[in-house]
Amino acid sequence: MAVVAPPSREAAARVIRLEQVWKSRPGLLGWLTTTDHKRIGLLYFWTTLVSFAAGGAEALIMRTQLERPNNDVVSPSTYDQLFSMHGITMIFFFIIPMTTGAFGNYLLPLMIGARDMAFPRMNALSFWIFLASGIFIYTSLFMGSAPDAGWFNYVPLANATYNPGPAIDFYCLGIVFNGIASTLTAGQFIVTILTCRAPGMSLNRMPLFCYAFLAASFGLLFALPVLSADTIFLFLDRNVGTHFFDVAHGGSALLWQHLFWFFGHPEVYILIVPAFGIATEIIPAFTQRRMTAFPLVAIAELLVVFIGFGVWAHHMFATGIPTVTMIFFAAASAMVVIPSTIQVFAWCWTMVMGGGRFRTPLLFIAGFVFMFVTGGLTGIMFVAIPFDQQVTDTYFIVAHFHYIIFGAAVFPIFGGMYYWFPKVTGKLYFERPGQISFWVLFVGTNLLFFPMHVVGLLGMPRRVYTYSDGLGWAAYNLAETIGGFITAAGIVLLLGNLFVSYFRGAAAGPDPWHGPTLEWSTSSPPPEYNFAVVPKVSSAYANWDHADREEDRRRLESGVLVLDEGHLQPAVTPVDGDLSEVVEMPHGSPWPIVLALALSLVFAMLVLEKYGAAAIGGILCIAALAGWHWHEPEEATG
Amino acid sequence: MSGYVDVSRVLAARRGPPAALLGMAILIASEASLFAAMIGTYLYLRFETPVWPPRGVPEPEWLVPTILVAVLALTSIPVQLAWRSVRAGRVARARLLLLGALVVQAGYFLWAVHDFADQIRRTPITENAYTSIYYTLLGADHAHVFVGLLFSVWLLLKLMRGLTLYRANVTQAITWYWHFVNLLTIVVLATILSARG
Repeated sequence: MAVVAPPSREAAARVIRLEQVWKSRPGLLGWLTTTDHKRIGLLYFWTTLVSFAAGGAEALIMRTQLERPNNDVVSPSTYDQLFSMHGITMIFFFIIPMTTGAFGNYLLPLMIGARDMAFPRMNALSFWIFLASGIFIYTSLFMGSAPDAGWFNYVPLANATYNPGPAIDFYCLGIVFNGIASTLTAGQFIVTILTCRAPGMSLNRMPLFCYAFLAASFGLLFALPVLSADTIFLFLDRNVGTHFFDVAHGGSALLWQHLFWFFGHPEVYILIVPAFGIATEIIPAFTQRRMTAFPLVAIAELLVVFIGFGVWAHHMFATGIPTVTMIFFAAASAMVVIPSTIQVFAWCWTMVMGGGRFRTPLLFIAGFVFMFVTGGLTGIMFVAIPFDQQVTDTYFIVAHFHYIIFGAAVFPIFGGMYYWFPKVTGKLYFERPGQISFWVLFVGTNLLFFPMHVVGLLGMPRRVYTYSDGLGWAAYNLAETIGGFITAAGIVLLLGNLFVSYFRGAAAGPDPWHGPTLEWSTSSPPPEYNFAVVPKVSSAYANWDHADREEDRRRLESGVLVLDEGHLQPAVTPVDGDLSEVVEMPHGSPWPIVLALALSLVFAMLVLEKYGAAAIGGILCIAALAGWHWHEPEEATG
Repeated sequence: MSGYVDVSRVLAARRGPPAALLGMAILIASEASLFAAMIGTYLYLRFETPVWPPRGVPEPEWLVPTILVAVLALTSIPVQLAWRSVRAGRVARARLLLLGALVVQAGYFLWAVHDFADQIRRTPITENAYTSIYYTLLGADHAHVFVGLLFSVWLLLKLMRGLTLYRANVTQAITWYWHFVNLLTIVVLATILSARG
């Protein structure tokens, strides 16, 4: 899997040396101990597909239950578990790990011309913790006591009085457990973006995809600890007898909501901003045109997350908070329109001016823009406080956030799956079935979610397991259920297309789309060392700078910046991207999975209320960390 | 102890912060965010409650904690000097400074644990919302001091075997951690003492 055929024997020898140095351990052990960001990205991809299937199955059972009035497919308590687990799964175990874990891990180092992430072992650790947290929270479902107080888990419904049993403890601990994985990933991306870019890639030459992931990572870094604090307080209330949320002893039920939404609203942008990043890659590739207003789009990606931290109370307009507070948060919420609109105009203008080739990935992006604007228009309605108070807890809200989360976050993920499929597998997908899968999904999701606006306005409350006949909701609900199954069929078609293409697809070559960024400058799939030489970069669309790519070939010939003496990677200054030093990277380690296992023991013992055993697990974690840091990297000092 | 000169030369030639330091900055940012949530909770509960601390709960002590937190904060100086010594390649001096700081930090921690146990015996955490956030905030702060002690012990064990670039990076990162924890302890103490009349 060499890169472009090297003309001279010396250059070929360098590539062979790189292949030997970066070779992974073979077999299952290789996967369990891998630190290769591409393998970790693929592990994330497969795992999140499983959770997507679980979350999807939960949704389909709910839609089947709601298909007609007075239906009894599931009991009310099962229905409560279904909608809670659907939300938790789709947010924490599908979208975040799919965008950051799978897309980010696989693509980010390739786009910035790096050979790996800044902390490769920590990257593996975050995957194993993520996997363990998923198994942890789904154990509750198999025990018949899954979290059932909604994904936002309001108290007092979620306290020990009204929700005894382990369900909410699974929620609290599972969220903290999963949060550790996401925080590690977020920190990883920030440091990787700041120090591992190819020398010459100053921040203004960094692809917009990376800006989006930088913004989402900062969002995760500052929002997740607040959710962790919230869930730890609830865990203490339930198990130790503290009174954070207990009004009778000076606590506050609203405190839960404040802390939850301080995380929960930035979370929405954490979900969709990476999708914006995917759009800003696909649009230039299929229009063969640089993104319009590049600096504005980069700033808007960061700004949308920043403003996202100041709008949380708009989720609480119906809770009786003071009017002046509501007005402040309504105004702040309206501000989000500005960076969002900048991006919408930039995407549309680039598509219009470039006269795009509407192949499957770009179709998904066009569908995404349509659904994002629709969901955005209903979103801005909530700034009108009386309207929000009227529709809160109805299906209008469900419609709005599914247009945003499914339309604006998942559609670009689908587009991205098609777009980077040739890079990851080296095969082309089948175009016509791809386009059909888009249309099936587009029709399906709109049929699924649009009527929810109407039934919401007609007064149908969310989270109610059934409804009476004669309210005028039945036909809409039937349409939604049909839409749900069409959507599922579209997803099966999409994944089936990719599955068959993997075996039967035509060879893709390194760059089937004439893509704009560096991942297209190396072979498909990329070699373990990513690039035979550290690439030269002089713009954000580095793969279109043909003179630089010629320079790469000359570097390989002359041996400049090949760095084939070890697992070497250049480190750069954070802003200007000047070469700072060359560092030895770790390569393959058993410690991440060992540490994740020790940490799993801690959480399992906590949920079983065996605190002594949990403490032993904590000591094992420290021992695993000591083992991890026992051997230091070899250094070429002198 | 070969390699002193090399390490300090590499450190001097480096133009940007090492990944280890940025990694520590990320850890600090996430921990700061966690404490911001807890201090926010403290203030929120405080302003929701007419009498703070509620009747029947003693006001927090101020004299001994303030003196001891000040002593802890002063360990930032030897820790910073240890990093300077490492940068100059003087590993023996760095070890001595870190050890001196560690003795004081460990002393503070022992007092803190003893004091915490003593307080919680007299007024349990389950008393009311005030005691809930009081002990959680204080306990979380003490836990961060404990993690700092583990870091310092590990670093000292590493530095016993001489200086490498890796250990120099670790020293710098742990220096930042201690500055953060010391600042955090001051902020937590100030928050807790704000309950006094």
